[in-house]
Amino acid sequence: MSFDKKITRRAFIKTAAGGTLAAGLAAGTVSCGVNNEKRAASPTEAAADIKKIPTQCQGCGANRCGIYAYVKNGRLWKVEGNPRTYNNAGTVCPRGHAYIKELYNPDRIKQPLKRTPEGKYEPISWEKAIEEISTKLNLIIMDNSPQSVFWIQYPMANIPLAFRFMHALGSPNTITHGATCFTARNAAFNATIGGLPDNDLKNSRYIICVGRNPAAGVKLQQIKDIAEAKRQGARLIVLDPRHSETAAIADEWLAVRPASDLAFLLAMLNVIIEEGLYDHQFIDDHTIGFDRLRDEIATYPPEWAEKLCDIPKEAIYRVAREFASYKPRALIHRGYHGGYGAGYLNSFQTARTVAILNAVIGNYERVGGLFLPLKPTLGELEKGGHPAPNIPEVEKADGAGVPGRYPAASYSDGIAHAVPELALAGKLKAGFVYHMNPVRTNPNPERVIAGYRKLELLVTIDCVMSETAALSHYVLPESFFLERDDHVDTVHSGKVAELTVVQQVVKPMYDTKPLLDIITGLSKGLGIGKYFNFTMDELNALRLKPFGVTLEELKKEGVIEVGTRWEEGFKACKTPSGKVEFYSEQLSQWGLDPMPRWQAPLVSPDPNDKHSFRLLHGKQAIHTHSMTANNPFLMQLSIRYDMIRLWINRRRAEAINLKDGDTVLVESDIGKGLVRVRLTEGLHPSAVWMPSGYGIFSKYLTTAYGKGINYNDFLNTLFDPAVGHVMSNEIIVKVAKA
Amino acid sequence: MTKSPKWAMIIDTTKCVGCFACVAACHNQNDLELTEHFNRVEEQEFGTFPNFSRRFVPMQCQHCDNPPCVGVCPTGASYKRTDGVVAIDAQRCIGCKYCILSCPYNARTINRAHGYVHKCSFCISLVESGSMPACVSTCPTGVRIFGDINDPGSEVAKLAHSKKTSRIGKDLNTMPSIYYIIE
Repeated sequence: MSFDKKITRRAFIKTAAGGTLAAGLAAGTVSCGVNNEKRAASPTEAAADIKKIPTQCQGCGANRCGIYAYVKNGRLWKVEGNPRTYNNAGTVCPRGHAYIKELYNPDRIKQPLKRTPEGKYEPISWEKAIEEISTKLNLIIMDNSPQSVFWIQYPMANIPLAFRFMHALGSPNTITHGATCFTARNAAFNATIGGLPDNDLKNSRYIICVGRNPAAGVKLQQIKDIAEAKRQGARLIVLDPRHSETAAIADEWLAVRPASDLAFLLAMLNVIIEEGLYDHQFIDDHTIGFDRLRDEIATYPPEWAEKLCDIPKEAIYRVAREFASYKPRALIHRGYHGGYGAGYLNSFQTARTVAILNAVIGNYERVGGLFLPLKPTLGELEKGGHPAPNIPEVEKADGAGVPGRYPAASYSDGIAHAVPELALAGKLKAGFVYHMNPVRTNPNPERVIAGYRKLELLVTIDCVMSETAALSHYVLPESFFLERDDHVDTVHSGKVAELTVVQQVVKPMYDTKPLLDIITGLSKGLGIGKYFNFTMDELNALRLKPFGVTLEELKKEGVIEVGTRWEEGFKACKTPSGKVEFYSEQLSQWGLDPMPRWQAPLVSPDPNDKHSFRLLHGKQAIHTHSMTANNPFLMQLSIRYDMIRLWINRRRAEAINLKDGDTVLVESDIGKGLVRVRLTEGLHPSAVWMPSGYGIFSKYLTTAYGKGINYNDFLNTLFDPAVGHVMSNEIIVKVAKA
Repeated sequence: MTKSPKWAMIIDTTKCVGCFACVAACHNQNDLELTEHFNRVEEQEFGTFPNFSRRFVPMQCQHCDNPPCVGVCPTGASYKRTDGVVAIDAQRCIGCKYCILSCPYNARTINRAHGYVHKCSFCISLVESGSMPACVSTCPTGVRIFGDINDPGSEVAKLAHSKKTSRIGKDLNTMPSIYYIIE
């Protein structure tokens, strides 16, 4: 019947318009005409030669999910999640899908480059570049000391190479982005339980996210497990000044006043202790300092907190009681950057309170609580006849972990945004930047540029000309992750212990090298060649030795589970007492508060100025740091969905005559910029919120250049006195219609 | 005798966090050009501060049982398959875009290089080889459930026939094969 109808309709069209249409088709000129030659070659229709190769995603640097990369007719096509990987369990996030397209981004660096006196970049051969860098570095080390050299990178699986290289030179200055991201959280958990726990979200019955937004600061397993827990009836509470993407699936959004999460959490602790809702047995057996905590916490009832945090006392009582009622299968997410990773002067105290709240309900190492993730111990180069250089017995230049300077800072992470200051002070003279972009991701770009410019030698190893690369004396192009073999990794482990590996999927397109080859080349000219006399395959084979797994097997599977699975049951903490420390003698010795105490934020918006706001920032699921803004597909999504906007509370916006989509001038004491606004009811009135992935100003990044602004443009160079973290939410801006 | 399969999808908006993984996966799977999309995520806001919520609604071809796009196609390029998929025969498409205009879900796009119209196919080649559509398998929260609505034991059939789900644009009588959970 419908077929007849179709014929009739087609016949009608033919009669009515056939002449023109047919003529147009024959000539191939009408706008709606089909190009038949191209159509025959359409990739979706052609028979394809498809290869499926397991490797590890590097679209964010933190998660390194297990993926399969598909190559179709010699060209990279798509990725899928490896279903056996614990941390992404068969799924891939938008960045993972899109980042593979960076392989074909025309903005890639295609050969080593050297900066000319005019600030331009000209090609240089690998041999010449390595020779010149080695010569200059030798002179700098002779004139100054090895400690005047630093290396900065994300803590990827290959960071031991950087440690080895720097230690061989005699420098302790290996640095990650940690101080701009998460070190306040790490320091607090270290002080409380002696390590950084993971969350058993899947089995939890009551989950509180404090500023943590795994739906946009994507951690696939976390968001998957939250969805699964909710399916089984768990409640999800999101405490966040902004209605986050995680809040979109929460049972309750608590719109906390920025910088006062600590007040809410202290009051929760107050209720749980005052009402005796805690786990008495756990506290007796596994903790120290509870009596002192009880005395301290008595001063923080919900009646006190509600005025600071804008959450009514009734809600604080209720959430505290509900949380405790589900013990031990309740948890406060251990957090990441948002909330208390590195945001505020009180972030360390906030994170301490989070760690302690989890402890008072006895959820450590319990199903549905927090647990220390399993981490398989990889084999070492030393066991294969490649002795390690000694760790230099000098303090890190940035003062990380040094009593009297930043005692609670992480030694292995260092303090990234101290580098420009140390360079300006003449304490650092030369540096290597590996796949990182401190000029864009550190606060106060003018200051960062001044600092990095002061260096006598700056070498950036990357795939694209980031802002930092575009300041460097030499730019060495690393092969894209899909073009190289890299380290065996254990990052996926949690309740299971797993190994994964980065392996070559396609041959390098340009004159690029993997990191190990670059370091090996440099080491020869620097007289430390004996520390780099192995191949990546040899290194990986040694890493795998303890597990009886061969590199071939791992490359075939992509992920292999090794060792025992996590089991419930408290394990001794790596704290000085071996217990959970409510009261920390160590912190007291460092001159820090031994117990969590209320601490006011460093700065606050002026309540009498309708243009004054705190500037908050956060991730969108489609962007990582500053590294994906130049991805044409992801930037296209940003534009298509109008995501490059500053969020502002509707009532506050209307008070200064702003309409949705208006352009505003944002101004702090160090910077200003123009951006369009998104009016929303989903944001605390005292703050504006800026997505963090934009504001690229390297002219070499043609897709991202000039699109949007970045919170770092407004943030002064600040160091938390205990941890040294960046305090990136301690910014007050004025917002006015442009 | 068991019926041959008829593919259908449940989209549970209460689980969607608007991460765009489905959009990116679809883009790769279908070799789309930069600005082409077969699916999208719409965002809705409700309430006033602080009693506020958001909803993300993934949208794509609804594979209607009564598809307007098929009715208007002058060449028969757009057609409804027996397995429920609304498909396009690229060889017969003249690129007139009538179907694009007729689709109430704005789900069709024209390939500028090749000149024909294309859209979501439920990743039928993946489905026929035993896999899930790209948007389904990549979703971290399990927003989409895909399956055979003719199989009464399938989750899709159970949900589609329950009161939990509804279809978009009921008054249009398009009879979509995608069923939404809204609350």
